[in-house]
This record gives sequence, structure tokens and C-alpha cells, in this order.
Amino acid sequence: MKRNTGTDDETVRADGATATDWTDEARAPDTSELAGEGLVLGYPATDEPVLDGETVTATPGAVTALVGPNGSGKSTLLKGLANQLEPTDGSVLLDGQDIRSFGTKEMAKKLGLLSQESTSPGSISVEDLVFHGRYPHRGFFETVTAEDERAVDRAIELAGVDHLREREVASLSGGQKQLVWIAMVLAQETDVLLLDEPTTFLDLHHQLEVMEIIETLRDESDITVVVVLHDIEQAARLADRMVALKDGEIHARGTPEEVVTEGLLAEVFEIDAAVERTERGPRIEPIRARHDDDEPDAVHERPPRMEADE
Amino acid sequence: MDDTMSNEQRSVGPDRTATPGGTRLGWLFDRNLVSLAVLSTLLVVVSGIVQVSHGPFRMSYAEVGRSLTDQRVLFDVEVWKAFLLGHELPEMSNSNLVVWYMRLPRVLVGVFVGANLAVSGAIFQAVTRNELASPFILGVSSGAGAAILLTFVFLGGLVLYLPLIAAAGGALAFLVVYTIAWKNGTSPVRLVLAGVIVGTIFTSLQQGMFFFLQDISVAKSARAWTVGSLIGTDWEQIRMVLPWSVLAVVLALAGARQLNVLLLGKNTAKSLGMNVERVRFGLSSVGVLAAAATIAVAGIVSFVGLIVPHMVRNIVGSDYKKLVVGCLFAGPALVVSADVGARLFFQMLGSRGQIPVGIVTGLVGGPYFLYLMRKQEALGNI
Repeated sequence: MKRNTGTDDETVRADGATATDWTDEARAPDTSELAGEGLVLGYPATDEPVLDGETVTATPGAVTALVGPNGSGKSTLLKGLANQLEPTDGSVLLDGQDIRSFGTKEMAKKLGLLSQESTSPGSISVEDLVFHGRYPHRGFFETVTAEDERAVDRAIELAGVDHLREREVASLSGGQKQLVWIAMVLAQETDVLLLDEPTTFLDLHHQLEVMEIIETLRDESDITVVVVLHDIEQAARLADRMVALKDGEIHARGTPEEVVTEGLLAEVFEIDAAVERTERGPRIEPIRARHDDDEPDAVHERPPRMEADE
Repeated sequence: MDDTMSNEQRSVGPDRTATPGGTRLGWLFDRNLVSLAVLSTLLVVVSGIVQVSHGPFRMSYAEVGRSLTDQRVLFDVEVWKAFLLGHELPEMSNSNLVVWYMRLPRVLVGVFVGANLAVSGAIFQAVTRNELASPFILGVSSGAGAAILLTFVFLGGLVLYLPLIAAAGGALAFLVVYTIAWKNGTSPVRLVLAGVIVGTIFTSLQQGMFFFLQDISVAKSARAWTVGSLIGTDWEQIRMVLPWSVLAVVLALAGARQLNVLLLGKNTAKSLGMNVERVRFGLSSVGVLAAAATIAVAGIVSFVGLIVPHMVRNIVGSDYKKLVVGCLFAGPALVVSADVGARLFFQMLGSRGQIPVGIVTGLVGGPYFLYLMRKQEALGNI
């Protein structure tokens, strides 16, 4: 697996690889910065906001992972950043400009979102679905241009679904579907890409496929990626920067090495775990669930704090 | 990154040079779509000939065929001016007069009614993302019907403006439904429920107004209108429905890609940069227009807008480019054949009577709707 990353001091890996090949392109000024400032986010059904005044910045051209336990507000934060959820206070800035000032199509050319649950009519072909990713680039009556076809071809190749091109989406496995949906947002050719738990519910093979796509994006393009991941080990392996949330508050942010520590796992995820540094990033060995009274062995389900999220 | 994977699967994958260039209009030559169009056209032609041959002046099918292909009519500009612009009719042979002037319009109006209702239903099904939606279910038809009865009963002088009044009534009903169902965006289930309830209210209004009808002949004509009938239609109805149908169909075809994106769901459509509420509203207006145009000339023909898009979707798939084109053929086939079916049925019973086509489509469509509800677990989500 390639581990080419930027040369920012903070993204130096445990293995010491600080590849410089991509630096100039990857950190070129045309990368986009996405930042949420003082975000207060909640759902109409509940009075209390899920997030109450959090500030988060996605490093341009890098992968930022949002992690946290169920109900920590990580998906809510992503929805806020994607403008799917209107913040009651604070604002989301894309390259310093409030995203509410963009037109809907203008916005969709800059920022793509892969939601957790995507539905499509079953009989649509993979290729047709990926072509929908070109929606923001086309006028109302415009037909497909060579540029659209090139973007679709690239997206399909990058997502590795070329062999599925003519298949009907309904006939695909869950993992294949997810790759196709990723191809669709890639065809959108945005500067910023937001992914909401892209690996959850997938088998290991497809989890790794998805992670490889994100790695390729990080290594070979200027795209700024923000990804919500359930699996903290996966996040540590994939991300340049990590943001750990608990109860709607950001508890830690920094490189995976800084964030993934035994102390943080105890505090945010309420588990005792051993963290081991390996050349593929930190490896976590969960030992037991922590409880307030810290009784040993008992691992029972905690009620989710907020049903609105996740 | 996917070298190993794509290498081993490349040989299995289909030859992809076939599609991208052909996507422009290649979809029109989809095998299922072409078969559907050919079969539907045959059905319309056969039903049409049977329909035209019936009546007080009985003609053989051969005579009808000869008259329909008569060059003196087909290529006479004056005749078409008379038909389409309402100019004075030039001299014609008796059989041509009966076929072209008196009986063919009924078939043609059936064609327009079928096509419009099917396209309207297809649009509403995408907007609500629900297979159970149709102008009838969403209250559009009842609203238009109530407006028509209102005109008959209280505003007799305005009968000339009936098409416009029907459209206004349909649009009003849909607006009420849409406003009530709108709450942080429209959910399909809310939309259909509101449609059924608003439809019931408007139907009650219709029923109520019958009590105010004094003149028995007006009552009869009003009743025919509320059930949907092609009896007695002539070229004037065609002149009335033609421009609106063309407009609605062109807009529906132009909006096919928007309809396809709407099918991906509100969140995806929004993240792709669609102004979802605006597009839904605009396309619904096209649906109302198409439905109102038919209601103005033929009254409320129920269930066509529900059944046809569903059947066409089963045959050509959910791509709206194909679906709308398929509806343009299958809709007329259903309405024209139902109309002639009703007539032949009565003939078999030895009666000269005719029943309105809306009763036939209702008798066929109602059970089909129930079957759909039974089959679909998630209340007809597309």
C-alpha cells in the first residue's frame, strides 16, 4: 500500500515516510478549504442542539476523518458541512465564502456528498447512475458533452466498477452498490468530497476497496476529503487528520498518532484498549468496555444518546 | 489501484464502446420500447377501425379502411383546415363524412386523453416517488370535476370556458394537496394521503351540486362528464386539447432527466445541486396541465394515469426518457381499446346503448390499484 502523504510536519507517518512527490500539486493553491465555524446544529424534532458551537477545519487537499461513538454527532456535523442541515448558528465557509451564498448547482460543482443511505430505482444501469453525477455541470436542456463522458469514464475507473458498467444497480451486492455511488460523486468532480460512513455494512473486501479509492484521491488529486468513519483503526490508517467527537463536542484533533491514544480511547470511546504503533499506523486492541463504576467484564448495550443521529 | 481486479474481470465485462456515443438517441431504439410502441399502435389502429365502423350507418371494415386511406381527404389542405382550424368543411362523399368528420374524432380524442393522462401520471409518480400517485389519486381530477359541475349548475354562461375552468379547478386541488402535505419538504405518503382526502371533499361537492340541477339533460351531460366519456366528441374537442397536449408532452420529455434525478431521492438530488422543491413544483404543473386538458374534453377518466405508467415501467424500466415515450403509445392503446370494448360488450348484449369509457377504466383500474397496494410493501415506493 502506498503511503505518499504531504510534507506538513503534522502528517509525518510513524514509518517516517514523508514523500515529497505530490507535495507541490497536492498543496497547490487551487485546493479548497472547508471550515465550519461556531456551528450549532440540531434537528427540528429535538430542542437541544446536537452540536453546540463547534469549529472544525478540513485541511485542503488532505483527508480528515471524523470519529466518535454512536450519537456523538459526527454524522450531524458532516450534514452541516454539506449544507444538508441548516445551522441555527455559525456558518460553513468554503474557501472563506459562506456556502449559503452559493447557488445550488454552483455549490454542487464544488462540494460532493455521499450520504449514508442512498436509494435508486432498481432498473437504472450503473453507467446511467454515474452520469447523474454530472447534473450540476449540465444546463436544463444540455445534452452530454465530451467533458461529461470523460469525467464519467474517469470516475468509473477510479472506483473500479468498469466491469459493472452495463449492470442494473438492483442486481449488485451492497459493496458494489457503494462503489457505484462513490463513482457517482466522483463524476461530480468537486473540490471537496464528504463521505458519511462509506465503509459501514460492507464486507472486508469492499471496505478495503473504498479505502483504496480514498487513498488514491489523497495521493493523486487536490481534492479535500472529509470522511465519517465508524472504525477508528480504519480512520487512523486512512486520514491525515482526525477529529474525535463525543456528545457533540470535539475532544481531540490532530494527526492519527496524536489522536489515537489509550487515554483518548478511554475518554471518548469508553474502552480500555492497547494502542500499538505499527508502520500502517496505530493498531488498536480493544480489551474491555469501561463503565462509570468500572465493573469488570460486563459489556452491555448503552442506550443511544440521540436517536436523531445515526 | 484496481489493476488486479479489473484485469481479471475485464474479459467478462460487456463491450463498453457500444454505449457512450449511442446515449444521445440510442435509447429510442431500445427493443422493449420499440415493441411496446408497435403493439400499442396496432391496438389503436384496430380498435379505431372497429370503433369507426359502428354506429347507425353501419360500415364494413374494408370501407372504413378505404375511407381512412382516401387521398382526397389525406392530402386536402382545405379539409385539414376545417378539422384543425375550424374552417368550413369542403364537399365530401358520404362515407368520408361519416368516417372522418363524425366518428374518427372520438378515436383521436381517446388517443390524446390516453397519452396525456399517462404522461401526467408518470410525472406525479416521479415527483412523489410513489407508484400509487396519479392525477386521480392526488385530487387533481376531482378538483377539475367539481369546477366543471359548478359551471354547469351556477355559471351556465361560462360553458365555453370549460377547459380553462377545469384546469383551474385541478390546479387548485393540487395546490391544496401540496400545501397541506408540505412540511419540511413533501413526503410521498403525506402527499398521497392528502390527495385522497382532498379528492373526497371535491367529489362530495360534485355530488352535492347534482341536487341543484333542474334540467334533466344538463344533469345527464354533467354526469357523463364526471365519469369520463368520449361519446359525442368531435373535431372541436381535438382543437381544444391538441395545443396543450403538445406543450405538456414536450415539457415532460425535456424534464425527463430532472425526473430521473428526483427518483434518486431528495437528499441525493439536493447534493447534486437540484433545487428540489422548485423542480417538483414545476413538473407538477406540467402534470396538472396534461390532466386538465383531458378533463376539459372528456371528463374524468379514472385510473389511466395510474395503470399505464406502471405497466410501461415494467416493460421499459424506470428511465423517464423511455417511460414518457412509452406512455405516449400505451396510454392511447388503453383508452381507445377500452372505449371500443365497452361498445362491443353492449352490442353482444343486443343493446344499442353505450357506457362511458371512464366506467370501463375504473372497473379495470380499481382492482389493479388494489393489487398494487397488496403487492407493494412500502406503499408503492419507486
